Amino acid sequence: MEALLDKNRLKDWIAALDGWEAYAPARQDGIWSYQPAGDNPELNHPNTPQPPKGFAFPQREIFFKFEQVKGEAPRLTAVSPAPTFRVVFGVRPCDGRAVPRMDRVFSDHVDDGYYQARRDGLAYVGLACNTPPSRHCFCQSVGGSPVSTDGLDVLLTDLGERYFVAAVTDTGKALMQAAGALLAKPGAAERKEVARLHAAAVAQPQRGVNDAAAAPAKLKAGFDSPLWEELARACIGCGICTFLCPTCHCFDINDEVTGTVPLKGSRVRTWDSCQFPDFTMHSSGHNPRDTLGSRLRQRVSHKFRYFHENFGMHQCTGCGRCVSECPVGIDIVRVVNEIAGSV
Amino acid sequence: MIDLNALRTQAADILETGEVGAVIGWRRGSRGMAAEPVAIVAPEEAASLVWDPTCFHNLALYLVEERKKPAQRQVHGGKPIAIVAKGCDARAVTVLLQENHFGRDDVYVIGVSCEGTGVLDERKLAQVLPGVEPDGAAFDGDNFVFATSEGERRVPAREAMMDRCLECRNAHPKLNNVVFGEETPRDFDAPFAALKRFEQRPAAERWQFWQRQFERCIRCFACRSVCPMCYCDECVVDSINLVVTPETTAAEKADRVRWIERSASRADNIGYHMTRALHLAGRCVDCGECERVCPVNIPLRLLNNKMEREAREAFGYEPGASIDLPALVASFRDDDPGQFIR
Repeated sequence: MEALLDKNRLKDWIAALDGWEAYAPARQDGIWSYQPAGDNPELNHPNTPQPPKGFAFPQREIFFKFEQVKGEAPRLTAVSPAPTFRVVFGVRPCDGRAVPRMDRVFSDHVDDGYYQARRDGLAYVGLACNTPPSRHCFCQSVGGSPVSTDGLDVLLTDLGERYFVAAVTDTGKALMQAAGALLAKPGAAERKEVARLHAAAVAQPQRGVNDAAAAPAKLKAGFDSPLWEELARACIGCGICTFLCPTCHCFDINDEVTGTVPLKGSRVRTWDSCQFPDFTMHSSGHNPRDTLGSRLRQRVSHKFRYFHENFGMHQCTGCGRCVSECPVGIDIVRVVNEIAGSV
Repeated sequence: MIDLNALRTQAADILETGEVGAVIGWRRGSRGMAAEPVAIVAPEEAASLVWDPTCFHNLALYLVEERKKPAQRQVHGGKPIAIVAKGCDARAVTVLLQENHFGRDDVYVIGVSCEGTGVLDERKLAQVLPGVEPDGAAFDGDNFVFATSEGERRVPAREAMMDRCLECRNAHPKLNNVVFGEETPRDFDAPFAALKRFEQRPAAERWQFWQRQFERCIRCFACRSVCPMCYCDECVVDSINLVVTPETTAAEKADRVRWIERSASRADNIGYHMTRALHLAGRCVDCGECERVCPVNIPLRLLNNKMEREAREAFGYEPGASIDLPALVASFRDDDPGQFIR
């Protein structure tokens, strides 16, 4: 299903999505982020520093609440995300490609009910990258593309005054059907223009990982390379690279106590980061990953080796956030290329 | 104007003579045009050192113990470490000296003066030159000059430099073994100018503002990790907020107080940032790195500037001004104001 939508009717399409909460990138306090779609959302954003992963995997998830009067059995109250229908506009193809990866993680061994409950009512309307949103993009070298539809329900292509709207999934078709007469039928000229734009987007030069297919074996061979410590020497051990990553999904679980008589609180899941020193610390105080290099190795190997060993695909989608946002310029592309080049 | 070759020669010389074991400076990185921190140990590596408007990092953090000192751990060999330091960075080294992280003879400060400019704010540049991603940046008098695919672009430094540089307390590093560049008169904003403007807003509006800022925090701790003054082994926000050794008992571990939850909720985020601001009072030198690295753009300098000004007004204390002064929180004078303990 393909159609044309006047850009100034995007707001009307959103209004017509009865029962859906709509989100779109907005710039507030000098920073782009996904916000409830305002009166007139314009999809003219670079990529947002934070990916849309929080819609299905929020930084804080309450698993259940507990309460225990002294001497009595604890009482547990189940908490599960309220069913909602949410549609996220303006998702870049790299972030779209993160979706099936996260889906695998949260459904492979265990069906994560919290993730699924949020994911079930979630739709992504992507926006093709006619021009790269950033010089740090490297989607093509990791099997993606600036016009990839992977993980998206609809893909928009900017034609200047209009969007070319293409459904990818049945959910996407339903979203488009809700637009009714707002959508116009595309002609041969528009289709040709989309094909031209997509071909031009793919032809734009991009930096990248030299040989992603070889990366798992190379990283395995280079596991003990002294280069890891060398490449991590400037690392300050913060969580930017992992928290802003569209596919990083490690978490911690804690009981947050809000009262003691009776004892009560919540068990919550929060994002965690393999870059924090306490991530792997044992209760003895021993830390098997106590150097910056070993933690960099973990992050990069997860993206380009372990995930591939588990699921047959690279976890990294080449969005470039860990490169652009790193306070000291640690560059995953350089790391993979240097390690791979050394073995 | 700094002669980069002279700086490189200096770095090579002190490595050659063995006066220092390593030089921490900047080199060309692979993240766009930005420089990146580097520790060099061989004289011939000095040719890779750079000095340009993307040298925004405060390298003093690499002088600090433990997780922040891999460079030092690797190359120390008992010799002093040299560090290339801007005015603000040198003030940070001063505070670390006051706090006895190392002795004056353990560090060799290669000062670089920002002269009439400062370092680049990449977010501002994206507004000033939208859609342009330059390949290089250089100082040129009052301007930044950017190399782009369409030739040189010249931008008045005032329009694209960090806010912290507009309010710089001292762009010429006072603490130094050698210094490059001139002490140039500057005509930007007075220190605390932005804070003053902010404080004119009504209290309710400010509270709303801060609630919105802290709501956004994702607790990546980049502000803490990048801060040379945030070096505690135990941090109030960590899940393991005590130093655990094989001797630590199970009871000690179980009884640790969890002051701030792991959740990035607004209340816990406020707890974190307030704690950090208070711990920086009289120590923060306004290098502004916390604000630069924040991925969600929280204006952390406003908080730290507030504490800095409190210390200045109450005790006439200027953090990082001199190694001959004791640390503010470690000193007492008979004439210290004591209204708050009546």
